[in-house]
Amino acid sequence: MNWNSTQHFWLIILGFFVAFIPRFFPLMLFTKREIPEWFNEWMKFVPVALFTALVVKDIFIDSESYQFIFSKYSEMIAAVIVVVVAYRTRSMAISVIIGLISVFLLSMVIA
Amino acid sequence: MNKRRPNPKQVPDPDEPLWRSTLRVAMPLNLSYIPIGLACGILLHAAGFNTLLTGLVSLLIFSGGAQFLIATMLTINSPLLSIVLMLFFLELRYALLSSSLSPYLKGQSNRFLFIFAVSLNDENYAINYLKFATDKKWTGKEALMVEHYSLLFWAVSNVIGSLIGSALKIDLGVVNFALTALFLYMIVMQIKNRLTIVICLISGVFAALCMMLTKSTLGLVISTIIASLIGFFLETTLKKHLPDSHWLWKLRSPGAKKSVVENTEDN
Repeated sequence: MNWNSTQHFWLIILGFFVAFIPRFFPLMLFTKREIPEWFNEWMKFVPVALFTALVVKDIFIDSESYQFIFSKYSEMIAAVIVVVVAYRTRSMAISVIIGLISVFLLSMVIA
Repeated sequence: MNKRRPNPKQVPDPDEPLWRSTLRVAMPLNLSYIPIGLACGILLHAAGFNTLLTGLVSLLIFSGGAQFLIATMLTINSPLLSIVLMLFFLELRYALLSSSLSPYLKGQSNRFLFIFAVSLNDENYAINYLKFATDKKWTGKEALMVEHYSLLFWAVSNVIGSLIGSALKIDLGVVNFALTALFLYMIVMQIKNRLTIVICLISGVFAALCMMLTKSTLGLVISTIIASLIGFFLETTLKKHLPDSHWLWKLRSPGAKKSVVENTEDN
């Protein structure tokens, strides 16, 4: 699929709706009544599961063939560094910047 | 600014105008949005978004994760439906954030809730949740101002990133790692007991398997549903039968001072 600006525009509009619905409706509903416990308990695990899946896709899955790859060594090492930095500093900006610097330096060394 | 540094817990000046006191609360977040917004703008430009659309997507979707995801999925030519579906699952976590803010926004008009929901995201949620929980004078109005400050910094950084992207040649492989790093950061912030780490591992294995089987990013959606359900059932079962299990022990973290803000996301 080749994209032009009109299609990008529609993607943004659709994206707006899928981003807006989960932000608005719980807010509207639950300012008026109670949250069901099971829903909360389940939703708690969605972010962690999704983010892990996305990280696995970035590091271990080839973006064209969708085959498992184990060759992005600089990303793997940088990922470990990011986890340690995030755990210690709890700062989003520092984690991202150190991640970028380390993947840049590592890719020059490992190639 | 520098004068405040030595004693940041100074009693706030009662005459300080509201726009300035809320800006002071929002400033650490605003500053951290600059590098990430720049990286995001550069990637969106590389994915084919023009500067105007980059500004629009930052205003309307206003989510780092979602915008990075759009950029990567466009560069690998994913179909529209697949991107929107992925976005839906990525943004589903906001259901949790907005539910947990709802007790503090009781009695607000639907119009206010609409405007509030549009500019809600992970980071300004963390700030507002903490302020609502600790500061009795913190109302919807102040919270909305914090949201708008962060939205402004985010959108401007994205637009500047898009302009940088069109002016310079940048190694995208490296910038792309900003997304991976951002997700890794968010995972670390979500981890609160040993069980969460197990769920991470399960999710990672399922994600790889599902993507190899479906040969598309739909595998991500499937693995997210499976792994979150496994987590839900494991925790419910453990709490019922083995409430003292070490899998439920809370993990402590260094950087405890700042973590108060981020840890509120767990609630």
